[in-house]
Amino acid sequence: MAPLARAFHRLRERLGRVSDEDIQDELRFHLAMEADQLERAGMNRDLAIAEARRRFGGVDHHTEELRDVRGGRTMENLLQDARYALRLGRRFPAFTAIVLLTLGIAIGANTAIFSVVNAALLRPLSYPDAARLAILYSQNPDKSLPRFSVSYADYLDWRAQTRSFSGMAAGTGASLTLINDGEPLRLSGLSVTGDYFDVLGVRPERGRLFTVGEASTVAAAEIVLTHDFWQRQFAGDPNIIGRRLRTQTGERAVVGVLPPSFDRDNPGVNAITVLDPATIPDAENHAQHLLGVIARLKPGVTQAAAQADLAAVAARLAEQFPQNAGWSANVFMAPDEATRTLRSPLLVLFAAAGLVLLIGCINVVNLLLTRATLREREIALRQALGAARSRLIGQLLVESGELALGGALLGLVVAYFVLRVIVGRAPAGLLPPDIGLDSTVLLFTLVLAMTTTLIAGLWPALAASSPRLAKALRDGGRSSSGGARALRARRLLVVAESSLALVLLVCAGLVIQSLRNILAVDLGFDPAKVVTMRVNLPGPRYTDTTQVQFFRDLQTRLEGRAGIEGMAAANTPPISAGGITTNLRLIGTARADGGKVMGPATAITPGYFRAMHMRLLRGRDVSWTDAKPTIVVSQAAANAYWPGESPIGKRVAFGLRDTVGCEVVGVVNDTRARGLTVDPPLMLYFSYSGATRIARTMSLVVRGRGDAAAIAATTRATILEIDRTLPVYAVQPVSQVIDASLGQSRLNTALLSIFAMVALTLAAVGIYGVISYSVTLRQQEIGVRMALGASSGNVLALVLREGGMLALAGTVVGLGGAYLATGLVQSWLFGIGRADVTTIAGTACALIAIALVASYLPARRAARVDPLVAMRGD
Amino acid sequence: MHPNADVLQGTLDLLILKAVSLEAMHGWGISQRIQQFSSGVLEVNQGSLYPALHRLVKRKWLEASWGTSENNRRARFYRLTAVGRRQLASETATWRRFSAGVEAVLAVNSAAN
Repeated sequence: MAPLARAFHRLRERLGRVSDEDIQDELRFHLAMEADQLERAGMNRDLAIAEARRRFGGVDHHTEELRDVRGGRTMENLLQDARYALRLGRRFPAFTAIVLLTLGIAIGANTAIFSVVNAALLRPLSYPDAARLAILYSQNPDKSLPRFSVSYADYLDWRAQTRSFSGMAAGTGASLTLINDGEPLRLSGLSVTGDYFDVLGVRPERGRLFTVGEASTVAAAEIVLTHDFWQRQFAGDPNIIGRRLRTQTGERAVVGVLPPSFDRDNPGVNAITVLDPATIPDAENHAQHLLGVIARLKPGVTQAAAQADLAAVAARLAEQFPQNAGWSANVFMAPDEATRTLRSPLLVLFAAAGLVLLIGCINVVNLLLTRATLREREIALRQALGAARSRLIGQLLVESGELALGGALLGLVVAYFVLRVIVGRAPAGLLPPDIGLDSTVLLFTLVLAMTTTLIAGLWPALAASSPRLAKALRDGGRSSSGGARALRARRLLVVAESSLALVLLVCAGLVIQSLRNILAVDLGFDPAKVVTMRVNLPGPRYTDTTQVQFFRDLQTRLEGRAGIEGMAAANTPPISAGGITTNLRLIGTARADGGKVMGPATAITPGYFRAMHMRLLRGRDVSWTDAKPTIVVSQAAANAYWPGESPIGKRVAFGLRDTVGCEVVGVVNDTRARGLTVDPPLMLYFSYSGATRIARTMSLVVRGRGDAAAIAATTRATILEIDRTLPVYAVQPVSQVIDASLGQSRLNTALLSIFAMVALTLAAVGIYGVISYSVTLRQQEIGVRMALGASSGNVLALVLREGGMLALAGTVVGLGGAYLATGLVQSWLFGIGRADVTTIAGTACALIAIALVASYLPARRAARVDPLVAMRGD
Repeated sequence: MHPNADVLQGTLDLLILKAVSLEAMHGWGISQRIQQFSSGVLEVNQGSLYPALHRLVKRKWLEASWGTSENNRRARFYRLTAVGRRQLASETATWRRFSAGVEAVLAVNSAAN
């Protein structure tokens, strides 16, 4: 023995553990002594050894017994059982394959969804102590606006008067145009107060971030880059700090680079500048809502306390300033806000994956029970030979544990591919970029496998090792009563899994139908062959007049180009969830609210309706020659604002101070401008020309005849022809924008459908298994029936009916479950009720049909039974 | 008592403790010693001897170590521990009381016959 092994040996000796080797050695010594004695008595050596062995009665047997006494045998039993289970797995290859596949798919689905949950819900933000970060909103309960942007004036008052926060900062989206040697580059940026990063707790990766209290002229010339942008645009240039960047609005010095974690929490942001209050239009106006506000709760302050504090301040401001009348404020915790859109769909999908796992477990229980029946004799024999029940249960659990572990490994492979589908199909920016099979996920999978082992393995183990089975030996393996009892239990299992499958099927059916409804929605415009892109006309080079002139010039030039049919601009894209909502006053109305409404509005250039293929229902389009903005309203707006009247000639004022207002000159058809599933908004289109302080960033819509790339290229070239410094960005075919807006719906629907199909398949396998088992048990009965004149058709019907009844029972139970479960997906439904009879009846029929198909194979086998063979049994 | 009778269940522990009370012995030696002390009346079933030895080690009444036997074979020797010695004393007392009791009962029976 090597010295190390000897040392280890001694250690085990001291710990009271005796190795197998020692036991064998000791028994061998005993045999040798015994043989010596016999030899001395005159026996020859070989005979003496044989006699000693005989007297002793088998070394192996004693070794086994000694192991029992010695204790600490759990580990060795485990290894022994594991080896046995592996051998067993090879003995029943089909069984092993089905169980592994079932568990692999079920565990894989759960692991994949958990990976997303883990990245998106469990660690939504990477800021230090993110749990104390809050997002503050203006809120207006009357207009049901719980999350409205905050005016700079309100922000200053909130910061001065609240006591719950250790810091409060504000920011707003601000884009910059970088002027390079080539084409100008549009940066998506943020403009923030100097203490923004202090409140977030973000430290720079390089250089420094903004300094609070710095002279605003100095700060305004500084810029901080995100890690991602620094890598992409400047190839991670180590000398970036201090470099001066030329932008459309002047030079800016790079003072710092943000860490990569900032990109995770703010995907798509390129650069951050300091918010200069002097550049905020109408900064003292409390009604000028345009900032996002973040704050950090002081230690020990709860969300509720902060909410009360801020609401009290907001109430004071509402009394103090007329613009604040009706406005309050909300405190929401940042991690909750970050997960708001994902939480509910992810939890639904997680629940669906959980159901799949449950169904998978039920199938595995069924399969293990079947195999236990096949091994009845083996197990009974072991019991008769004195194997303890705990030892048998242990062994059976090790077997199912090995299967679960194999399933978990397979599940990781499945999860890897499912994740690729999820990440590949998810709309950009929906999911955090660091989703993957990390250690948390692996731990989850391991726990899942162990839970599965217990759930799926315990019952079969208890059942198989039950002393009842000892009877099996006496019955010679034909334990009909035990078989019937097992059959009843297994029918219940199949009913349970059918009902779970139905729950998933109903939900998937409703969601699929909803997606179909969404896709069939009338947009109110024709998205095909329309490309949208954004362009920014920077001040002070461009004024209200030259801006209008630019678009008129562009329209004239473009519409003369080959392949272009029409072009116009609007300050909101044709379809966007946000859009602009503004204060309006309907002049000369008899309404109780004096015509003060809040409604969506967008500036457009003439030709917008033509380019979008919308229909002008009354009046005329806006015109390039309008001296004051004119208005075209959507049909819905016309009906809501001037019911029963012609809107033409009515006047609408923007803001509260305007008393003259602008004239309505036309009515246009409704569009789904706020999203496919959102009712057409009460839209006001007002002419860009004639307006003052007009938006500098506009969305172009260009309709053409060729493909999107050609349309975009022609447009871009024409724009650069007019002004070489203008960046064109966010170029997208409108159909693609619509498609992207459906991304999450499609993903949810696809995943839920896949889960439902897997559930249905598993249920079918389960039904097949139980019906096969039942046919085997009833072989003699079937033989008797056939001998008494039943036709194969009768037998076929008999067996099919059994399968159909199981599915029917599952359906009835499942409908109750579906009633509860559809409540969870209600928010996903569109144009369909959660109790849609067609969908529910359809899925129920599908389940029963699949059950009949699954029963057909065993039924045919039963119908072909030779009565003589069957009655003889075995 | 029939010669070669198996040692009564429960008394084997006592016999083993007694056998090793004088000196450390290996398993085979213990079985020989018991047979010899009982003048060949008691024969230890070898199948129960080793489990019993391991059980006693586990209870810390015996301790075991490897050594060399009288004919130069590697053998496992068992030695009484302090706990084992106390156990031996108490079990011996118990046994004496028990066998005296049995003896008394048998004496009554034969008188009645």
